[in-house]
Amino acid sequence: MLSAGFVHFAEYELQIIALAWLAVMYAIKAFQLSHLNMPWEKAPAKGSPVSGVFHSYAAIFLPWSMESSKKHFWRWVEFGAYHVGAGIAILNTFTTPFAPGMMTGPVRLVFAILIAPAVFLSVVKLARRLARPEMRLISTPDDYFSLVSVGAYLLSAIVALLVDSTVARVVYFFITAAFLFYVPFSKISHYIYFLFAGMATGSRYGRRGVRPQAGRAS
Amino acid sequence: MTVEVATKELEKKYNRLVGTAASNLCAHCGWCMDACHVYQATHDPEATPVAKAERVRRVYKKSHDWMSKVFPFWTGAKPLTEEELKKWVEVAFRDCTLCERCVVNCPMGVETPQLIAAARSALTAAGMAPELLTQLADMAISREENADLFRDFFLEQVKEMEKELQAHLKDPEARIPVGQEGARILYVPLSGAHTMLPPAILFNSAHESWTMSMFEASNYGVFLGDTARAKRIAERIINEAKRLKVEEMVLAECGHAYSTMRWEAPKWFGGPLPFRVRSILEVLDEYVRAGRLNLDASCNREPVTYHDSCNLGRKGGLFEEPRRVLEAVAQDFREMTPNRAQSLCCGGGAGLVAIPEWAEARIKAGKPKADQIRQTGASVVVMSCDNCRHQISELNEHYSLGIKVTSLAELTVQALVPAGVEKRVMVQT
Repeated sequence: MLSAGFVHFAEYELQIIALAWLAVMYAIKAFQLSHLNMPWEKAPAKGSPVSGVFHSYAAIFLPWSMESSKKHFWRWVEFGAYHVGAGIAILNTFTTPFAPGMMTGPVRLVFAILIAPAVFLSVVKLARRLARPEMRLISTPDDYFSLVSVGAYLLSAIVALLVDSTVARVVYFFITAAFLFYVPFSKISHYIYFLFAGMATGSRYGRRGVRPQAGRAS
Repeated sequence: MTVEVATKELEKKYNRLVGTAASNLCAHCGWCMDACHVYQATHDPEATPVAKAERVRRVYKKSHDWMSKVFPFWTGAKPLTEEELKKWVEVAFRDCTLCERCVVNCPMGVETPQLIAAARSALTAAGMAPELLTQLADMAISREENADLFRDFFLEQVKEMEKELQAHLKDPEARIPVGQEGARILYVPLSGAHTMLPPAILFNSAHESWTMSMFEASNYGVFLGDTARAKRIAERIINEAKRLKVEEMVLAECGHAYSTMRWEAPKWFGGPLPFRVRSILEVLDEYVRAGRLNLDASCNREPVTYHDSCNLGRKGGLFEEPRRVLEAVAQDFREMTPNRAQSLCCGGGAGLVAIPEWAEARIKAGKPKADQIRQTGASVVVMSCDNCRHQISELNEHYSLGIKVTSLAELTVQALVPAGVEKRVMVQT
């Protein structure tokens, strides 16, 4: 049905092209951002910028460190489950072509089980975005498209993992590639900017002695 | 013309922090919503931090984001217009107090206040900032320009205050020195006597080598997002400290004055200032720990709570210093919840308390703080920021909290026992 060459292209060449595209786009963005003037802190330090940066990156894993995650613990669990699912789906794009021996039946099943909640949560997130006026107000077509496309991507990953079908795999890899081409232009890029923000905000709060105090606040 | 000027100023403010906040860093997850006291009080969808940030972010995206340049509708990007600027006045000066509570509660670390501060700068440049804030900033500058005229009047006031000081300490030698060269500390007060007399009592009691500035510590240029004005206002005091050759500058109990001089001024002037900068909170903490003040906590028996000013705490890193002093001067100190870096803004910060036409919105936005105070059961609320003091005094009246609003220095003075006198119990009336 599908030629071996076409399947190979979808799993290897296409992915490499898409990843290269992603890397180049991010490199340009990082270059642009790092060439902007940075208002570095110049006052004598009260605390440690390094521990501030560490706390800034770690805060997301410590639900008690932020009131938002402490008060809405289940939202934090949702956040975790959603990103674990996305991470596994991304990992699968590497393991399937590059470590096929690892992808035994049980491993595929575990991967699918870990991704499944994220698919469900895509629907929940979409419903919440549509239902709450506060969320509707801040949402753009990119927000809706990103949610739907991530959901579709995750679903395609599950299908590719559970159904022994070349077509399902090719669809999954084409969606992956399309996704990689789109990501640099969308809000999905937040995970890259997070690295910049964590560094800047964390070092400032750390230097001023605000963090890790934030973690102690009741 | 207005739009052009504002756009130009926005571009000038586009640094790495603003650029990051204006990028796709924000995932529009909405976690910041509950963090904002204005949203907590109003439940207005437009009052969430993310909604406020979006107004500015979408304008920035129009000129800086690849997708937004080609397909603006896809990201909501839009050019700046006169109507949008009018809306920004309320968003930037009324509905956001730059308290940074949204920042410490954002999983991505989006610095929404950076965007709002950029909007303030643009509005100020376009002549659309609240007039009173501009006037207050200009008055501070003119005070330096007419320093000779002002000095005599100020010294006369200080002489009167000195009599009160001597009566309080029962010491005819007690002084409030102004502009004295060679003193160790230059204390910079605010314009009210409550920021001069209590510190004077404490400095004299601790036998400190100090002198007082004739300028006030507040800096309205910061609220305007106007770095040029803010620099000029700060420079007056910096020059005075240099001229007097002091070892350190100690700032009155004022949130933004501290964060400005301690953390922002070194950025404006290219490096650390040639003297140490501290808040009087840190100095009092030092006195308490060194036993330089004879204090009796039983003089303050009423339940006391402390309000963390955003500028001193979340932006300044002063959390434990005032608490250590409070433990020494008050018998029943109670924490508000949440506190420290998670403290709620009083609702009057970033100059809002000075704008009479928004008093109603400000009092409404202060409701979460009023509720928080009530929950402590405290009858005395201590704060080390004059902005907060004005706001909480008004909240007290409006929400019938039945509290006494005071500063840390004032409460410390109440607990002060003259040297050589045994600690005794004072009955509060």
